[in-house]
Amino acid sequence: MIQRDWLSKTLAGTLLGLTFAFACSAVFAHFAASLAPPIRAQLAMWMVIPIWLCVLSCVYLFRSGKRAWLWLGFANFVVAGLLAFARVLS
Amino acid sequence: MKVPSELIRIYKAVHTWTGILTGMALFIAFYAGAITLFKEQLVAWATPPAASPARGVPLSAAPELINQTIARHSEAARELEIHVARSASAPDLLTWKVHDEGADEHDQLSARLFVATPASDGTVSAVQAERTKLAELIDVLHRVVGLPVDSDLNRSFMGVVAILYFLALASGLVTLLPSLIKDLFALRVGPNLKRMWLDAHNIVGLGSFPFHLIMALTAAVFAFHDPIYLVQNTLIHDGKLAAAFRPPAAPGGAQPRDPSTMVPPEQIVARVKAEAPDFEPTVLRYMRIKGPNPTLFVFGHDRHGALEQRALGGIAMVDPYTGRITSTAYLPGHQSASEIVLASVFALHFGSYGGAPLKWMYFLLALLGAWLVYSGNLLWIESRGRKAKQRVDGGAIPVQRRDTQLMASATIGVCLGAICGISLTICAAKWLHGRVDDLNSWHRILYYLTFFTAIAWSFYRGAARASVDLLRLATCLTLAIPLTSLIAAILPASALWASRDLGAVSVDLTAAALGLTFGVLARRTARRVYGGRRDSVWSAHAPVTESAAADSQGVAAE
Repeated sequence: MIQRDWLSKTLAGTLLGLTFAFACSAVFAHFAASLAPPIRAQLAMWMVIPIWLCVLSCVYLFRSGKRAWLWLGFANFVVAGLLAFARVLS
Repeated sequence: MKVPSELIRIYKAVHTWTGILTGMALFIAFYAGAITLFKEQLVAWATPPAASPARGVPLSAAPELINQTIARHSEAARELEIHVARSASAPDLLTWKVHDEGADEHDQLSARLFVATPASDGTVSAVQAERTKLAELIDVLHRVVGLPVDSDLNRSFMGVVAILYFLALASGLVTLLPSLIKDLFALRVGPNLKRMWLDAHNIVGLGSFPFHLIMALTAAVFAFHDPIYLVQNTLIHDGKLAAAFRPPAAPGGAQPRDPSTMVPPEQIVARVKAEAPDFEPTVLRYMRIKGPNPTLFVFGHDRHGALEQRALGGIAMVDPYTGRITSTAYLPGHQSASEIVLASVFALHFGSYGGAPLKWMYFLLALLGAWLVYSGNLLWIESRGRKAKQRVDGGAIPVQRRDTQLMASATIGVCLGAICGISLTICAAKWLHGRVDDLNSWHRILYYLTFFTAIAWSFYRGAARASVDLLRLATCLTLAIPLTSLIAAILPASALWASRDLGAVSVDLTAAALGLTFGVLARRTARRVYGGRRDSVWSAHAPVTESAAADSQGVAAE
C-alpha cells in the first residue's frame, strides 16, 4: 500500500533532491578537474536541474513520506561522504 | 507493463494538478516560442524599407568607424557590433546598445540601439535607430510565459512553471505506462469525444516527449542558472567562479589598450575563415575594447548546419589586438566532447542544429506543444462535465459545475487571447508605422489590450460562445498579416510596404496557413457550440442555473 503523504514527499523531493543534486555536481566537478575551468563550471551548473527534477519526479514512488526522507537523506549522506572522502584524498 | 494501480492514481493526480496550474502559461510560451524561432524573418517582415543612414558602408571602413565611434561615445567601447553580413534585420555596419541604469541584463526591450553614421566630411555621429522591437516583444512573451518584462522575478516565475512542466511530463509518462503497448497510437475516433481527445493528447505527448523534456529542463536552467552558480561558487569553486569565466589577461597587463592598433575586421574574418573554412562569420561583437582583457566574439553560421550554441550561430573567440583565435569552445566542428555536450543543450532548445528544415520541425513541435497543453485543459474540463442521464431524471440537462465553467472560460480567454494579441500586434508594425510616436510601446499595449479583453469577453459570454467569437477574431487578425502585405503590393501609394525578402514572404505565407487553420477550427467549433449536445460546457444552449435546467426537462433527448 502506498501512502500519498503529498506534503512530506514533495518537501523531501524538493529539499533533499536539491541538496543531492548539488552534491552530485560537486563530485562531478572534483573528478572533472582536467576540463577547462569555464566548461567544467558550466557542465556542473547544467547537471543540477536534471538531477533535482528526476529525484522530485520519482519521490512519489516511495511507500510513505517518512521513507522518502530516510532514503533521500541516506543518498545525500552517501554522496556528501564521497565528496568529503575525495577531497581529503586529493 | 505491470504498475500498481495505486501508483498510477498518485501520478495521475500529480499530472492533473501540475498540468492545470501551468497549462495556460505554457500555451503562451509555446505559441510565442514557435514564432520566436523565426525572429529574424519577423524583423525583416516588420522593418520598413526606409534607407538606413549608414547602409552601404563597406567593411573596409570599419577600423576608422570604430576608432571615431569610441573616441566620441565611450559607452560603445563596452560592447559594439560590426555586422559583416548585412540583412533586412541588420542593415548597418556598426551598432551599439545603451542599457538603462539598473536594467536587467536580459532586458533587451528597454535598450536603445545606436548606429554609427559617417558624414560626408569624415566625422561620425551616433544616430539612435528606430528598430522594430516587435520580435523581441514576442520573444519576451515566450521567455517569461506571457509576462511583459524579462526580469529576475518573472524569470523565477517561469522557472517554477518549467519545474511543474517537467513534473507533468514525468507523471504523464507514468500514467501512460500500463496502457502504453495496448493503446499506443490508438486514435479512437467516435462518439466518445473525451476518449478521442485523450488518445490524441497521448499520441502528441508521447511522440514529442523528448522535445518537451529538453524544453522543460533547459527552461528551468535558463531561469535558475544565477542562483545555482551562486551556490556552486561557494560549494565547488571556493569563491573563484568569476575567475574561471574571465578570459586570460593580455600579456600587456592591465594598462589601457589603444583601439587603433586592433586588427581590421576584414582581416579577422579572413583569419577565422582560414581556420574554419565552413564557418561564415556574420557579426563581430567587441567586448571591453579598452579594458585589460578585450574579447571579440565572432558569430557565424556553419555552412553545413552544424550544431550551434546560440540562435545567432556558433562563436569563434578572438583577441581583437592580435587576430589570434583564443578559444574554439563554441566554434562548430572545432569542439571537444565536453564542449559539444554543452553546446548541444543550448542548440537543442534553440533548434539551431540543422538549418531551416529543423527550425520548421521545431515550429511544428512548438505548435503541437501549445495544442498539447490546451487539450490537457479541455480534458480536465471534460472529465468533470455533467452528462444528461436519460434513465435518472428524464434526461434533464444538468447545470455544469461552476469550476469547469470558469476553467473553460479562462482557457479560451488566455489561449485564444494570446493568439489574437500576437497577430494584432504584428499587423500594427505596418499599420501604425509613422503614425504613432512610440510604436514599440504600442506593440505592447495592443497585445495586452487584446489579451485581457479576450479574457474578459470569455468570462462574460461564457466559454462556449466566446470560443467561436475568439476563433473568428483570431482568423481575421492572423489573415490580416498577409493581407496587409497584399494591400501594400497592390497599392504602392499607401504607407504600408511589402518586403520581397524571402523571410518576410515566409511570414506572410505562414500567417495565411495559420489563419486558414483557425478559420476551419472556428467553423467546426461553431457547429458544436450552437448545434451539438446541450449537456456540455461547450454548448451555447447549456443551462446556467438550476431553474433553467428544470425548464429544459424533457427536451434533452434531441
